Amino acid sequence: MTQLQGTTTTGPGAERPAPSVRQLTFQWAGGPAIPVLSVAIALVLGAVFVLLSGNDPVKGYVALFQGAFGTPYDITETIVAAIPLVLTGLAVAVAFRTGLFNIGAQGQLLVGALAAGWAGSQWATLPGFILMPIVIVFGVAGGAFYGGIVGLLKAVRGVNEVITTIMLNYTIVFVMHWLLQAGPMTAQNAFGTPASTPIGVGARLPVIIPNELVLFSRLHAGIILAALAVIAFWFLLWRTPLGYQLRAVGLGARAAAQAGIDPARHMILVMAIAGGFAGLGGMIEVSGVFGRVYDGFSSSYGFDAIAVALLGKNSPLGIVFAALLFGAFVHGGAYMQSHAGISSNLVAIIQAFVLFVIAAESLVRSLTRRRGRARKPVEAIA
Amino acid sequence: MTWEMLLGASVAAATLRLAAPIALAALGGVVTERSGVTNIALEASMLVGAFFGIVAADRSHNIWIALGVAILAGVLIALLHAYASITLRSDQIVSGMALNILALGLTTYLDYQMYGTTGTPPDLAGLPDVQLGFLSGVPYVGDAIGSQNSMVWVMALLVIGLQLFLFRTVAGLRLRAVGEHPRAAETVGIDVRRIRYAAVLASGALAALGGAYLSLGVAHSFTDGMTGGRGFIGLAAMIFGRWTPIGALAASLIFGYGNALSTSLQGASIGDTKVPVQLLGTLPYVLTILAVAGFVGRSRPPAADGVPYETEGHA
Repeated sequence: MTQLQGTTTTGPGAERPAPSVRQLTFQWAGGPAIPVLSVAIALVLGAVFVLLSGNDPVKGYVALFQGAFGTPYDITETIVAAIPLVLTGLAVAVAFRTGLFNIGAQGQLLVGALAAGWAGSQWATLPGFILMPIVIVFGVAGGAFYGGIVGLLKAVRGVNEVITTIMLNYTIVFVMHWLLQAGPMTAQNAFGTPASTPIGVGARLPVIIPNELVLFSRLHAGIILAALAVIAFWFLLWRTPLGYQLRAVGLGARAAAQAGIDPARHMILVMAIAGGFAGLGGMIEVSGVFGRVYDGFSSSYGFDAIAVALLGKNSPLGIVFAALLFGAFVHGGAYMQSHAGISSNLVAIIQAFVLFVIAAESLVRSLTRRRGRARKPVEAIA
Repeated sequence: MTWEMLLGASVAAATLRLAAPIALAALGGVVTERSGVTNIALEASMLVGAFFGIVAADRSHNIWIALGVAILAGVLIALLHAYASITLRSDQIVSGMALNILALGLTTYLDYQMYGTTGTPPDLAGLPDVQLGFLSGVPYVGDAIGSQNSMVWVMALLVIGLQLFLFRTVAGLRLRAVGEHPRAAETVGIDVRRIRYAAVLASGALAALGGAYLSLGVAHSFTDGMTGGRGFIGLAAMIFGRWTPIGALAASLIFGYGNALSTSLQGASIGDTKVPVQLLGTLPYVLTILAVAGFVGRSRPPAADGVPYETEGHA
């Protein structure tokens, strides 16, 4: 039986365990059929929209592909775009694994970027081997703090994390306006764009592709940090007692509590960890790409991250592939807009459809299993 | 800083103006959650209402058609959510979030395809203001409510109407029964699914009115993502207002006031310290978190809120 058959209502999916959208188990090994299928369906639905708006979808998708992979430079740019998506994808996925829906990766990334940018310019003269660890710690801690607030409010006051994360996403945007336009971090000379003072040389992640290989490539050492984060994600969840407990909470908070695992404590912890991943993503953007914090940089990583995590089935490898796909969408989208006249926002529509299809897929499976008994939604996320 | 900046008539007028879209979303939230369905896609309904209202105004030059199209768009989003959460009994938060992403992508995409980078045309039909001439001589009141947009008054009427409907009519009682104890409601012959569908669709229409007000009433144009989370703030106002229309309005006024202050305090200073205006922009969002966290009054949601319902016989 292939996974493909599992999507039909009459399929023999009944004997398989049916994960809900928030509890997808580690099943990338089970085959990428469902994610690939959902992307295909989403691309077709996206094409319908392109047609309806009077454009040529084939021309659009060809431009999208050319833009993303047409030259070696474009390939490195696609990877540059994918790196923050890997980190925010991990931030969403680790929370999903514990039964929480983290829509706040966006805000957590920005706080991490601000913290890293502040540290990087505050001690700009320090040598790299001292400054770089400091900047990394600040980025991770900033994101972890912002995510931890969400976990704390959820654990102590029972506040739905979806509302809190969305509100915190908006809050940090205004805090950022203040910090970078009229606040303590505002640079005097930023060429008209509100920004922070540049970080020191020691805080910059070097470009790892020499000019002789790819001219003007921006692919930076952040890719190594991202790879380490993916390994850390895997190790934490599947090779440590804490990871076991986190996943247990995600599979059923009440059962986990019966087994002596305190769901409240783990909610705070996992949201801090999630924020740490996203914060590292922000730090990488500042250290690897911009060299300072620009006001309003990165506006859509948050939503992209949800699609990345779900498409990657919350598994380490899956997230990497999904992030590369959406990185290609992001980088190729600009080319599509300029060469085929199709708005790069088509990508957001495709993302929404991916989300729908994945939700519907797990839904159909749970329906085929549900026959004969009523099942309540997981308590932790109600 | 002066009292005028904090409590002046223009601040009061701005409070009402800014509270109206939040209140409309909050009313939508009250209706849908009282029936037992969580609908975070209110933001999506608002955004498509704002966008398609403008598109219809551009094509038809008729404000009634524009308003009708706006409501229709919001209801369509709500229908998708109702189908996913009532018929398919899927995760209501995931469904709502997918719709939010879809609405943002769709409107931004179509905005670019239809109007490019020049923006929506400038001479669009708008929702009229209501001039209350007889109030013009009355100090403060005249300036505060003398020339508000018609949608502000529609909102006020809807608050009263929904309050009466929910708590003084049989249909309202049924809707609340479905949200508190669907099984009991079904036992006495109430069609749970039908009422929930109606409630979710109504919430989409109410949110779309809020969106149409933003685009057709205030801005006379559409900008990408112009609802700016007001659908979510509306949900917070609903919680803060304890799932009642009048409470939701009161909460929306507080959020509106926070918004109004961030404008009126521009350039103000306390002693020698300038008020950081950008930080005031966080007020509605921080207030929302505090409200939802129950630091400003604990409240209880409808018992079956967010829980999919399975009919006994078909389970």
